[in-house]
Amino acid sequence: MKIVKPNTKENTLLVGFPSNGLVGTFSISYLIHHLNMKQIGEIEMPGLPPTLFVDDGDILSPIRAYNKNNIFVIISDVPFSLDLLDDFALAVHEFCKKNAIKKIVIVSGMETINQNEHGSKIYGLITHSILDGLLYNNHIPKFLHGSIFGADAAILSIFRKTDIPALVLYAECHPFFPDPEASINAIVTVAKILDVDIDTHDIKNKIDKLRIQYRNLMDETLRTLQSQEPKTRVPPIYR
Amino acid sequence: MQNDNEFKFGITIPKINSLFDDVEHKILSPLSCLREFDNHWMLEFDLPMVNKKDIQITFDENTVNVEAKLKEKYSEEKLGNVTKFEHFKKSILLPGKIDNKKTSAKFQKGRLEIKIPKKLIGHSVKIV
Repeated sequence: MKIVKPNTKENTLLVGFPSNGLVGTFSISYLIHHLNMKQIGEIEMPGLPPTLFVDDGDILSPIRAYNKNNIFVIISDVPFSLDLLDDFALAVHEFCKKNAIKKIVIVSGMETINQNEHGSKIYGLITHSILDGLLYNNHIPKFLHGSIFGADAAILSIFRKTDIPALVLYAECHPFFPDPEASINAIVTVAKILDVDIDTHDIKNKIDKLRIQYRNLMDETLRTLQSQEPKTRVPPIYR
Repeated sequence: MQNDNEFKFGITIPKINSLFDDVEHKILSPLSCLREFDNHWMLEFDLPMVNKKDIQITFDENTVNVEAKLKEKYSEEKLGNVTKFEHFKKSILLPGKIDNKKTSAKFQKGRLEIKIPKKLIGHSVKIV
């Protein structure tokens, strides 16, 4: 994998993968496009079934890395089964070490049965108190109580033991359907954190079509999430 | 016309089409979910690109059928074949009998919620 030299600004890694509402994949994919980021590598995971995607004749790995200036991205087009979660988290950590990443931001969805009519909220969960200011300055309420499982939990478990702080942005979203509207909130919040301008006009125009287009990915993601879910009961805030 | 600079997601549809779209009849299978409560079920369908007036809900003893016409045709290309879908359609078999007189529905932001009371059949047991 190509290693890009650190910029003068702090290197930040964004991570997105299929989860509740497909918030992570929609948001990160949109940011890659709008920031005109370039692919710098692929993340290889031995346990992942051999899968390649073909887009306009180009062969793509399902987990790819992108970069522009001090912003790095890892995006996965496939949800992770339980046996791959730790491998993915370790691969993200390895990437951070190689690219001198100073903080990581994971974008995910928080399933919410009764969504607020005025739009979904965003909550932040941090591993290190050094990121408290980031939440405060961007008016992101802290995720205070609840349980998490899946890829975000796997990544947090690793990063909380390292000196690289991690922030998970949880956008309230529909529990079972793709939620591009929640993804727009996440995009706006990430743009504030990165201090970049992102026009969300394009995704707003495509909300309905995206909901149809990504039914199958949502369906597969739900099946995967259900297989990750612990058998014990967890508090209702996240369920 | 396709704008080269237009935003296009790089995400690829999973290989297993578990929603069983009916290509021949141009019918899409919508996402749906069923949640069970003490006295009712809440059945929800994701129906984007649909007007409320174009939704039909019918049911029999324990099956709910939903059919909806799309506002405009939705095109999907697979291996060079373009299909233009015109409808959503899906039937859901419930795990119990429906009290159809009290069933109600609402449609907001392209999501259809059907509240279906359970038909409670049983006898009381005298405690001796």
